[in-house]
Amino acid sequence: MSHPLREKAAISGIGETAYTRGTPKSGLALQMEASLAAIADAGLSPRDIDGVVPYFPGGGIAEDFVANLGLPDLALSVFVPMGGATCVAAIQTAAMAVATGVCRNVLISVGRTGYSGARVSSRLQQFPQFALTAEHEAPIGLFAPAQLYAQGARRHMELYGTTPRHMAEIAVVTREHAILNGNVVMNKPLTVEEHHASRMISDPFRLFDCSLESDGGAAVVISAADRARDLARPLVTIMGVAEGHPESPAAISQRPDILEFGLTRAAPRAFAMAGVGPKDMDLAEIYDCFTFTVLRQLEILGFCKDGEGGPFVMDGRIRLGGELPINTHGGLLSQGHVVGLNHVIELTRQLRRDAGKAQVKDAELGLVTGYGDLGDGSIAILRRAA
Amino acid sequence: MSTAPIAAPAPERPLPTPTRESQPYWDGLREGRFLLQYCSGCGKVRHYPRPVCPHCFSMESTFREAPTGGAIHSWTVCHHPFNFYFKASVPYIVALVDMDAGVRVNAQLRGVAPDSLKIGQRVKLAFEPVNEQVTLPFFVAE
Repeated sequence: MSHPLREKAAISGIGETAYTRGTPKSGLALQMEASLAAIADAGLSPRDIDGVVPYFPGGGIAEDFVANLGLPDLALSVFVPMGGATCVAAIQTAAMAVATGVCRNVLISVGRTGYSGARVSSRLQQFPQFALTAEHEAPIGLFAPAQLYAQGARRHMELYGTTPRHMAEIAVVTREHAILNGNVVMNKPLTVEEHHASRMISDPFRLFDCSLESDGGAAVVISAADRARDLARPLVTIMGVAEGHPESPAAISQRPDILEFGLTRAAPRAFAMAGVGPKDMDLAEIYDCFTFTVLRQLEILGFCKDGEGGPFVMDGRIRLGGELPINTHGGLLSQGHVVGLNHVIELTRQLRRDAGKAQVKDAELGLVTGYGDLGDGSIAILRRAA
Repeated sequence: MSTAPIAAPAPERPLPTPTRESQPYWDGLREGRFLLQYCSGCGKVRHYPRPVCPHCFSMESTFREAPTGGAIHSWTVCHHPFNFYFKASVPYIVALVDMDAGVRVNAQLRGVAPDSLKIGQRVKLAFEPVNEQVTLPFFVAE
């Protein structure tokens, strides 16, 4: 029997602002600008939005959406506090809401001034998910994600022989894709040598292994699939979607396998729901807070075996035209950091065959992941409907 | 009119805010003892301290002194000071250690060259008082 949520919901609208370093706008203004763009893209009016799942903590809350967009009857306000896994996990929440009739159109949105406003370490101080890290690890000098995730990357290198060259490949290919997109922060080519020469942040992560701090907003609208068919754009349906939480979710240090991500649990559920497997994907937009995070997720998703992520990304396999093009928009590494909602937007654009110079030929089926906090994971499998 | 430059305040060291559950752990460190939380129901150790045993759901527990030796599980060498307090101490090693007691501890590893580190390398926990209330753990070679 098919999963009750399978293809019951669709991405009906997408919207984003310019991705920049420096803006006079507030995070809330960026979030609203992207939201208005996504609603217009769907062919809807703000009056049609009756559910909101804003990124939290940091950004607008339901009250802001009612006040700014004049929402006449907001029926659902939910936070999905999973850091970088939030945006894709929010698709599951929104799909449940529209499939059950609680809502008609749910708005997922992010606005952030990560460059011109508060930087990552001070933002994370607000997160209850980081309370254990703040108590036990910040005092000894371990708090930023670059530091916390570096230990997993180091262990992978020691166990499997993964190298900085493998990580550089992800940074370089992602940059190539960003340049094709245009609306990106990083628009100059990056070489392997430049990656290796960039300053060390937290070994083994160098500067170009780390995602950007940027300013920008992004939003998507999720609608019931049968309604979305009548809206403005080609129908992109949600075949499978799941969130996952690893063991010891608030302390990587105490997780029996520090290379376990929430995606380890979410991916099998999403593939089963969609009735497809990794081999069926035309492309993948993989949450890329760090190069290594991409490499490890490719293993967890089953594109290769544990420990083989390094060799897997080489030889053009993840480049446009390769076996599995990834992060065709430039990702968080090169386009901008809107907590991965830009990955959802890009996959939707690809499946609409609207991705310009970065278009994957005949793209029909793809996946997008989220990864965040201290290992939470999420995945959505999207399809271009006939 | 010119004004004298105002010196930036010295960055403060991030310090733990103990919870009702974790207070005995921090009290132990202050006394130079490595105390861990053991379930009174099933006897299993758990870290970081919390109210319920995830194995048997007992809410009764005791803190007991545990062995301070362990083996390196992984590490990172921190070069960028995300908190300016650590600007003077970079680069420093943070080792994640499989303690013989059956939990992990993350702490700075001192007196060891980063290039020589290996998974499984033996270390032991030591105690660094930072003020009257707080003592933090660090590692040295065993």
